[in-house]
Amino acid sequence: MNTTTEPGAPASAPPVIDKAQYGLAAFLVIAGGYVVYDAGTLDKAFADQPVQPYTLPFIIGGGLVLLGIMLAVATARGNRPEAEEGEDIDLTHGTDARTVSLLALVLVANVALIEWLGWAITGAFLFAGAATVLGSRNWVRNIAVGVVLSVASWYGFYVGLGVPIPAGILDGVL
Amino acid sequence: MSATNPLAPTCVVAAYSADVYGRAAIEYAEAVARASGARLVIVNATRGDSLVDARFAHDVDIEALRERLVGEGLAVEVRHDVVPDVAEAVVAAAEEVDADLVVVGVRRRTPVGKLLMGSVAQRVILDAHCPVIAVKPAS
Amino acid sequence: MDLLLDGFATALTPENLLFATIGVLLGTAVGVLPGIGPAMTLALLLPVTYSVGADSAIIMFAGIYYGGMYGGSTTSILLNTPGESSSVITAIEGNKMAKAGRAAQALATAAIGSFVAGTIATVLLWIVTPQVADIVVTLGSPSYFALMVLALFAVTAVLGSSRLRGFIALFLGLAVGLVGTSTGQARLTFGEPLLADGIDIVVVAVALFAIGEALWVAAHMRRKPLEIIPVGQPWMSKEDWKRSWKPWLRGTAFGFPFGALPAGGAELPTFLSYATEKKLTKHPEEFGHGAIEGVAGPEAANNASAAGTLVPLLALGLPTTATAAIMLVALQGYGFQTGPTLMDDHPDLVWALLASLFVANTLLLIINLPMAPIWAKLLRIPRPYLYAGILFFASLGAYSVNFQAFDLALLLVLGVLGFFMRRFGIPVLPLIIGVILGPALEEQLTTALKISEGDVSTLWSEPVAVVVYAVMALLLVAMAVTGVRKPAAEEPSLSDTPGNNDDKELVER
Repeated sequence: MNTTTEPGAPASAPPVIDKAQYGLAAFLVIAGGYVVYDAGTLDKAFADQPVQPYTLPFIIGGGLVLLGIMLAVATARGNRPEAEEGEDIDLTHGTDARTVSLLALVLVANVALIEWLGWAITGAFLFAGAATVLGSRNWVRNIAVGVVLSVASWYGFYVGLGVPIPAGILDGVL
Repeated sequence: MSATNPLAPTCVVAAYSADVYGRAAIEYAEAVARASGARLVIVNATRGDSLVDARFAHDVDIEALRERLVGEGLAVEVRHDVVPDVAEAVVAAAEEVDADLVVVGVRRRTPVGKLLMGSVAQRVILDAHCPVIAVKPAS
Repeated sequence: MDLLLDGFATALTPENLLFATIGVLLGTAVGVLPGIGPAMTLALLLPVTYSVGADSAIIMFAGIYYGGMYGGSTTSILLNTPGESSSVITAIEGNKMAKAGRAAQALATAAIGSFVAGTIATVLLWIVTPQVADIVVTLGSPSYFALMVLALFAVTAVLGSSRLRGFIALFLGLAVGLVGTSTGQARLTFGEPLLADGIDIVVVAVALFAIGEALWVAAHMRRKPLEIIPVGQPWMSKEDWKRSWKPWLRGTAFGFPFGALPAGGAELPTFLSYATEKKLTKHPEEFGHGAIEGVAGPEAANNASAAGTLVPLLALGLPTTATAAIMLVALQGYGFQTGPTLMDDHPDLVWALLASLFVANTLLLIINLPMAPIWAKLLRIPRPYLYAGILFFASLGAYSVNFQAFDLALLLVLGVLGFFMRRFGIPVLPLIIGVILGPALEEQLTTALKISEGDVSTLWSEPVAVVVYAVMALLLVAMAVTGVRKPAAEEPSLSDTPGNNDDKELVER
């Protein structure tokens, strides 16, 4: 087994602190705090109920707060995360925030529009939008593939699986 | 404008893809360079949008190709890059080195295939500012 | 025995054979494709499969499970990109073999080794699973509660590189599992009535595996294409067979027990198998430059351990891998009571699954050995389409559960959580298992304490429970001792040859 204290970092250099990790620690403390607060609003159930509905939330929420504090301490000591590697991932470059935000925007648009326009339309938009954001420039092809996929999946669920996905404004057309 | 004599170019750009079409282009461009003493610029680019691109040559192969051509005494420059658009990269390289000839390998495509896939060679032919020679691999 | 034959009768009907074939092909494809693995595929398929029969769906899942591993080893050998930590070791020697022009042999020994290991492990499953289930079924709630805690603890602390981050994931998962209604009161629902029934585990799984992964890849997309090693039909010479068969068997022996323990996981056995083969080989000079034993052993260990993880899943209802977790969700989605009683209540289903593992394993060898060059072509799919497709199917799956835009919003929120978990190196598995087992844990605790009328000491009143807690205490002590020196267990580096690794070790000591 290899034993390293800090992979890749020379032992003598001062620890590089990943400041964003404090944000995660804060999130954990807030989330844990909310779990505990929410547990406090629950009433005692029947007297013979050995495990009250707030028992586990108190433990779990408290655990989250504790873990948040531990993470903050570890961060201050120079503990850095090993971001997840993958076949398709190149961690040598920084985070491409623009692509991620645009992608999230496409997903938000899907959430906002799906009940009005229906899956057959927003699904096509979702695919074409995501492909374009991710760098496929042939937008005619992007839309064509998206439309085929969304309409085919709508009929596939409706006819093949007997799952009627709401058609939205295309009700009666499909 | 650079070349006055179309038979004696001073700088040739070869659009290389790691397949028979690219090899045909290289062979032709090589022959031109040898005959005219022109500088040879090889462009092998990819958009890098799939995990594997068979037309993007491996580093070792590109190095071997370069060494072979340099060994023959040719003035060679190789551009082996990840670019937003392959055809644009070829055209831009041709402009940058002030090429007076671009060589591309072309393949047969069905009309539907052309519509869906687009064609790097076609766009190089249309967009380049200098003459373009389109070659086909020997069948 | 009759049950097994019945199982084969179910698995071999033309319809189910078709599902097994689809599963094997689909599994191999997603194993080969970057960014999408068997767990994500099962998660994406969950909503669809509820419209298919339970046995057909489970049989297809078995095919995907085995197929995914086969596909994963193909890419680690040809591209040196192990998709899962369990194929990291395969990539070390496998890719070196491929670079030395022996890709066909590396693929062949991986495929045949997987088949051998999978077959032996499946037979072991037939023997071990019913016996374990018989024992566990006699245990009381306190012991079962202890086993669940052990499984959570093991998945969180023993696997993965950072224990702190493992526990963060586990507690986040447990918190998500709290959402819903408890004793008639809305708990952790943020006043949202749509959350009163809890968060659908399908949405959680799809969000973390698919949306989180797609966003993470979008942020760090590899730009330069990888150099793939061209390959023909896999085959092996007589010499290769001679050097492979012992590593296959030894790898199986390492893999199955590790998979079968509730502590599961395929990393350790593959590593042990590699170390053993390196020690026993007659060709030590080849290690680090493409030794066939170094592919044969770890691949067999990987497959055997994957089969082994089905023991705790089927006999105890405790998943220890992401794929097993999703299979558990699928079983629960069909309304089966997972846990020690599953084998008694639904022997037909369990034995159909166990038989179909055998079928899937055989299909895999027959179908895939000739298809290796075709699978490599899948890698040319443009990634914008691949990831757009993942987002598309993820949204479709989440939406088709209830037809609510709210589920899609939840999908996005949890997907963003999945993104940040990858950013901060927090493992996904403990979270998923926390979501699944959290409610079960609470229920088991309630049952135990109800019987004892609130006396907490009942939790350690059974011998099995005491042993389990003792094991956990031992693990904790062992971790505390090693943990002082070792905050992060480093995996063998891929870019370095093992030789270089040895040098590094010396320097670090």
